[in-house]
This record gives sequence, structure tokens and C-alpha cells, in this order.
Amino acid sequence: MLEGAELYFNVDHGYLEGLVRGCKASLLTQQDYINLVQCETLEDLKIHLQTTDYGNFLANQTNPLTVSKIDTEMRKRLCGEFEYFRNHSLEPLSTFLTYMTCSYMIDNVILLMNGALQKKSVKEILGKCHPLGRFTEMEAVNIAETPSDLFNAILVETPLAPFFQDCMSENALDELNIELLRNKLYKSYLETFYKFCKNHGDVTAEVMCPILEFEADRRAFIITLNSFGTELSKEDRETLYPTFGKLYPEGLRLLAQAEDFDQMKSIVDHYVVYKPLFEAVGGSGGKTLEDVFYEREVQMNVLAFNRQFHYGVFYAYVKLKEQEMRNIVWIAECISQRHRTKINSYIPIL
Amino acid sequence: MSGKDRIEIFPSRMAQTIMKARLKGAQTGRNLLKKKSDALTLRFRQILKKIIETKMLMGEVMREAAFSLAEAKFTAGDFSTTVIQNVNKAQVKIRAKKDNVAGVTLPVFEHYHEGTDSYELTGLARGGEQLAKLKRNYAKAVELLVELASLQSSFPGLNVLLLISSQSWMRESEKSSTG
Repeated sequence: MLEGAELYFNVDHGYLEGLVRGCKASLLTQQDYINLVQCETLEDLKIHLQTTDYGNFLANQTNPLTVSKIDTEMRKRLCGEFEYFRNHSLEPLSTFLTYMTCSYMIDNVILLMNGALQKKSVKEILGKCHPLGRFTEMEAVNIAETPSDLFNAILVETPLAPFFQDCMSENALDELNIELLRNKLYKSYLETFYKFCKNHGDVTAEVMCPILEFEADRRAFIITLNSFGTELSKEDRETLYPTFGKLYPEGLRLLAQAEDFDQMKSIVDHYVVYKPLFEAVGGSGGKTLEDVFYEREVQMNVLAFNRQFHYGVFYAYVKLKEQEMRNIVWIAECISQRHRTKINSYIPIL
Repeated sequence: MSGKDRIEIFPSRMAQTIMKARLKGAQTGRNLLKKKSDALTLRFRQILKKIIETKMLMGEVMREAAFSLAEAKFTAGDFSTTVIQNVNKAQVKIRAKKDNVAGVTLPVFEHYHEGTDSYELTGLARGGEQLAKLKRNYAKAVELLVELASLQSSFPGLNVLLLISSQSWMRESEKSSTG
């Protein structure tokens, strides 16, 4: 890729970058969140959201308003925006955007495989799939009798094929625990995405690679933490760690041997970047490790907008929008369950 | 003295002895009936108190559980379809036992765990901690529900028995007062 993206970027992608920056400017601010937190009912929430960029997105909803309706509508909106970006994009941005959808596709495929194994009707599962992870062969899934059929006939056409090949031979598809499969696919996906960004070079690599490295390290930490006390063996655990990032390779080897949270903390002492994150766990707000990681992710995504002429803005925007959706759903749940003690535990973005 | 309660008897010593024995038997029977009715009332009151306590606790526990569901969804995303799809065997099961109170059997439900957690690895990459908390909260709620079910199923049975035994006791008292 030629250096000097400033010269060539705007020819192909300038319009979309401008658009995504405009969308980013309409994310909810701290003042908006303060207003939302003070709402007493979901109707109030709807009225407050009307003053933001969300506008009348709930206008056609029948009473009573529920949290899941709000969630579905917000997701529809995000998908509409994303589809618009994808339809107007050129290479290599379109490959980048396809990579972004792969994570949702993995979830959908796991869901469909599970449903096919249990002979559930495809229609009802399709309704539960994540819209961003839609791919054309989805409806054809119920034709396959066994998972290997599924792979040969259908998945081979999707962008997910190389991830399946990475993980295992087709024979092993039957026995493998569905969660392990999901995590292995995700690991393979992250590694491929990372390679893509790195090969692309230029500002995109400078912005995306740290973000993806953080994602890999975060997964390693969280998988380790959640596998304490379960049947997951240490060797299995190690196969789920993505092989890039700050922790690779020594940190990952150490993590695979860890037995509890304190051991993890002592491993982290060697990594200056993650040490303060682990220190922040617990503390006064009762923060969990995941909360701390979410905050850091949000910080990195916001910083991505400080540079121009790269694809990271699209990734960052989608992630920030998702976090905003999660925040709004959280506040809505607290209001509807009248459980306001933790209503301020959303992750502030701007 | 009402006409139809009169017992026709031939006035002799033996008849008197027999009558005395009969009276004693009737009195003992009446006392036993009273004791039974008292025991049932006591049990009834205890159960009532327990039902009220459990119902109040139930409200709290369900609220807590629903909130922990919201927390888990915040961190782990939407895992509901995964959970629903992977249902196979029940982990918490109920045994029905019989309990004997003053000669009356009442049903009692007892829960027991069987099998391993098939959702152990759900949320491995995200939200595992919140999911564990969620599982604990709902397990508590289920246990409380079983207890409540046990109490409430014995309640109407006990109610009926109490009525019957108190009615029998009333009839006995009438008889003995007029006899």
C-alpha cells in the first residue's frame, strides 16, 4: 500500500469518512446521560431520546414500551447506518467492513448450527440472529444434516471458511463443545483481521493494530478468569488465546498456568499497560475486570477519531455505538425495574 | 334431653358398668380429637406464618435475580437464545415426600441437584462473572419457590382437616353435653 494516505484516501473513502464522523458527533454526551438517568418511566426516556439524534425512532411502537423494543429499534438503526456504509464502500474498505461483520456472523453460525442439531425450525432462529451478521446462505442451513455437511455445502462460501479450516478438521466438528468452537473461531477471526490491518499498513495499521492487540489480550484475561473452577483444562484454555498482542508469547504461557485471580495479577505486574487496569478492579465502585476493560476499549476507540485517513474510524464508531446502546438499555432496565442504585454504572463515552 | 338421643337401656348393674365404660371411651375419644385439632391448628398457624415470610422474601429475591439478569446482559450481550437452545436435562429436581402430623399425611417437596452445569462455559469470553452471579441468584429463587410450593400445597389439605376435626369435636361436645 502506498504511503501518504493523505493523498489518495479521500478519492475512494472521503465521503464515507465524513459521514461516519458526522454520525460520531451525534453520540450521546454526558449531559444526555444525566438527563436519561433522571427519567422516572420509559416514556420519559423516549421523550428525552427524541431530543437527541435518535429522534422519533420509537414513534411507531405500540404501548406498552418495553426495554427489548428499545433495544431492537436501536439495533435496526445501527444496522441501517452500517449497511449504508457497506453499500457505498470500495475496496479495501469493503473488505474491512466485511471483517467487522465476521464476529456477528460467527455468533449467528453457532446459533444456526445448534438449532439444526436440535431440529428446530430455521425461521425462528433466523429471527434471533444478529442483523449485522447476515449472510446469503443463512436460510440454506436447515438442508444440512450434520455439521460437516453444513461446512462443506454452505459455510465454504462465506468469509468464515478460513476460520473453520484453521480450527480443526471437519470430523471434529461434531464432538466439539459449542462454546469452545465459538471461541476458537473468534480467535482465528481476530488473528486474520490483525494480519489484514497490518498488511494494509499506513495509518490504518497504526490505529487498528493496538486496538486489536488490546482485544486479544483482553480475551486472554477474561477467558482465564472465567475458566477458573470449570472443567476447561489448561491446555484447552491455551488454545483459545489469540496469538498476537502484548501478552504473546510469554504472557500467554504464564496465563495458561494461572490458577486464580491473584496469580493473574502477579503476571500483569510485568506489563505496564495493564497494571493500572487490574489495580482498578474492586475498589469503591465494585468494578469488575470486565467493566475496566470496557472503559479502556471506549477510550481507545474515541482516540481513533483523532487521526484522519484510516479505516479505524468505522470500527471505532460501530463499537462506540454498541456501547451506547448497551448504556441506554442498562438505564432503561434500571428505570423499568425501579432498581436505581446502580443506574450510574454505565460506561461514559464522550 | 332430646328424644332421639336417648339410649334405650335395661336398668341393671351390668348395664351401668357398660355405660360407664362407654362414657369413658367417649370422653377419651373427645379429648384425643381436641388434641388433634389443637395440633393441627398449631401446625396451621406455623405454616401460615412461614408462607407470609417466604412470600415477602420471594419478592426480594426475584427482584434481585431480575436485576442481575440486566447486569449480565449489559456485560455479556444477549445470551438468551444460546441458553434456550441448549436446554436438555434439568439440573434441579424435586422429590415429593410425606410428612405425618397428628395422624394426617401432608406432602412436602424437597429439591436436589443432579448432573453438571451444562452452561459452564457460556460467557467464557464475556460476562462470565455476571453469569455466575445470575445463576446463583436464580438458583436461590428456584429453591425458595420449591419451599413455597411445598407450604402452599399442604395448606388447603390442612385447612380441610382442621375443619373436619373441629366439626367432629363440636359434634362430640354436643353429644357429651346432652348425654
